[in-house]
Amino acid sequence: MKPLDRRSFLARSGLFVGAAGIGAVGALARNGDGSSAAAQGDASGGSPAASPQQEWNVSQAELAESDPFDGPHQAGVLTPRPAQATFAALDSIAPGTGELEAALRALSVRARELTAGGPAPLLEAPPADSGTLGPVNAPDALTVTVAFGASLFDDRYGLTSRRPRELVQMPTFPIDDLDPAESHGDLLVQICAHQRDTVAHTLRELLRTVHGSLQLRWNIDGFSGAARGPTPKNNPRNLFAFRDGTANPPTNDSKLMDELVWAGPGEPAWAAGGTYQVVRIIRQHVEFWDRVALTEQQEMIGRVRSTGAPLGGTSEFEEPRYDLDPHGRRIPLDAHIRLANPRTARTADQRILRRGYNFTRGSDRSGELDQGLIFVAFNQSPERQFATIQKRLLEEPMIDYITPVGGGYFFAPPGTGGATGWIGNGLFAASS
Amino acid sequence: MLISALTSSGSHATGGRGHRPATVGEGLTPAPLANFELHSPHVDSEVQVYSFQGVAGAANATPPSDSPVVAASQFTQPIADYRAYALAQLGRMETQLGRLQAALAGGERADAESAWRGAYADYLRLGAVYLDGQTALDARVAKLNLEIDGTSGGLPGGVSNARFTGLHRIEYGLWSGSSPQALTAYAGALATNVHELAAVLPRAEITPLEYATRAHEILEDAARDFLSGMDVPWSGEGVLATDAGLQATERLIATLAPVVGTTERVMPTVTEELGHLRSVFDGLQAAHGGLLPSNSELTSEQSEQLDGTLQGALEALSQVPGVLETEAPSTVPRIPAADFVVQAR
Repeated sequence: MKPLDRRSFLARSGLFVGAAGIGAVGALARNGDGSSAAAQGDASGGSPAASPQQEWNVSQAELAESDPFDGPHQAGVLTPRPAQATFAALDSIAPGTGELEAALRALSVRARELTAGGPAPLLEAPPADSGTLGPVNAPDALTVTVAFGASLFDDRYGLTSRRPRELVQMPTFPIDDLDPAESHGDLLVQICAHQRDTVAHTLRELLRTVHGSLQLRWNIDGFSGAARGPTPKNNPRNLFAFRDGTANPPTNDSKLMDELVWAGPGEPAWAAGGTYQVVRIIRQHVEFWDRVALTEQQEMIGRVRSTGAPLGGTSEFEEPRYDLDPHGRRIPLDAHIRLANPRTARTADQRILRRGYNFTRGSDRSGELDQGLIFVAFNQSPERQFATIQKRLLEEPMIDYITPVGGGYFFAPPGTGGATGWIGNGLFAASS
Repeated sequence: MLISALTSSGSHATGGRGHRPATVGEGLTPAPLANFELHSPHVDSEVQVYSFQGVAGAANATPPSDSPVVAASQFTQPIADYRAYALAQLGRMETQLGRLQAALAGGERADAESAWRGAYADYLRLGAVYLDGQTALDARVAKLNLEIDGTSGGLPGGVSNARFTGLHRIEYGLWSGSSPQALTAYAGALATNVHELAAVLPRAEITPLEYATRAHEILEDAARDFLSGMDVPWSGEGVLATDAGLQATERLIATLAPVVGTTERVMPTVTEELGHLRSVFDGLQAAHGGLLPSNSELTSEQSEQLDGTLQGALEALSQVPGVLETEAPSTVPRIPAADFVVQAR
């Protein structure tokens, strides 16, 4: 396969430089809690406003939301989780380090354009944008997060000595039935946005940008359950019908994020501000689960299905108080929430930041629904955090109802640092 | 044989403190909090909005029981019957393993495959066993099961892992072109393990909860692992394996029928659905020259018939553990009010 040369990358990407952010959609930066200035109305700056007689089937305020691509950390880690996502693992077929570097640079340039939003230029030549979103690419809270797999640090590109300390190929855990066709990869691109078509468009555009150097290995689409309340803070449900993400550490606590999420001491200097990303494609055997009595479901999880409260409680965010329940009379000792997060001083540094999505993708050969969870965790140390939790969870009875079938360990490097940077530039600067 | 872990609370799946699946709408109290009109030209009706009234404030989320409890002593005879059945199955399996060892040693691949099918089906006809891992005997049974029926999934290196042994190691070898003679050592170790299992299984404890739970979990696991092809990737003998699971379930239900009682509404449905499923297997066998087909030999119509009928049987079977509870559901203690801590978000 003939690799696309560096000039082609930049020529295609450059079509949009300068247009981003000043187009027909007035992008509104989101606050840390996910709110935005657009929350009360439609986008400004030329966005077609809804007249009283006209109804949209999409929130114009959501379309106008924008998460900055550039910064000390990549977007898509701490930023609020929009409803739709795609995870795409890529393998590098670039013949040399220069071509790989050019592809990554182009990936960032195009991702920056798409996340900012702007007009999709019309050209007679094969258009540089597929146009599937119409003449304007609304930002739609789009985030593109790029992460590296351990295999990128093999002997192909001279990066071996710069591998993040704990970046290894995801081990096979005893309950796994990993399909090599949807496991691991040189890169992972996480794409998140409010609307499905934004995510689909972005994947297509990014792949087009790197064709010839980065090849799709596997991808999977995810969605979040709708926010059905009863309050805006209540978490949506996974496909076992339980709320997911309740015990996540607060992302606005920067000190805690430094302790749990961002790369710690001992990592290469270029990795500072990055984080390990664990992705697990977990099949949930939903037919089996649906034939389990409610009491059993709740005991396996440790929470009340309707409210999300810990067993014995009434509020989703109520402390389960394991210290007052040492024998598991209220919440069984092998309940999921108890094993995942024992809430002790000794396990406090094992907490992870989860950012998962549900998936549904047809059925298997026996006609059972292929549904499940794209488990996503950001953590400072996969061994100290994710793997330790995973080993504890081998004792939970819920393992009968799930089968991890894919995913991988990745390292999401720090952000670009500014509009002229690109994801991974630190790695290549260090190696040059 | 399928092995599952028990929860530390002593319950699992639809057994234990579990009950019949709640009716549709469980946990929701219809309350006309707001009425609004749909904007469809074809619909002009008021819509009820469902709230969590009456649920959100309830600390005890244990749903009400809808069946009287059954005396644990009523399980004594069914469990004894099962033990005798299981030992007889292991005896048959040992006979098949003798055939398998002879065929492998003689380099007779076709005979070896036939004997493997027989041995595998005999093993799966044991059904399931639940182990809490608390005793040395449990640990021994679990280890034996892993060595007899463990798959390569979950093992680092997959099929090349030295701990990949037993039925599926031989399956892998036979259906991927290994020399039959190269598999004789695995068959010898398998026969030794099965012989030991026959010696220890009679002493393994089976509680009423575990026994009742098997009513639907044997076939649940079959649907998950066999017809999907997950556990039989090389031979594709998922139909054979599921049929073996059905036979174990039929046996189990036969022993439980007197406990459930003829007046209980669950049993007629279970009997009817299992009968449907049995007739599907009979039809498949007739259509494939007297042998059950592999997964890949099923036509799409046959697959739909089998998968759909199995799901129907599972829906019926999932009702069984709920009518075999030996103790009333306990109330979940309230988190002490004085210790309420609501996390800041």
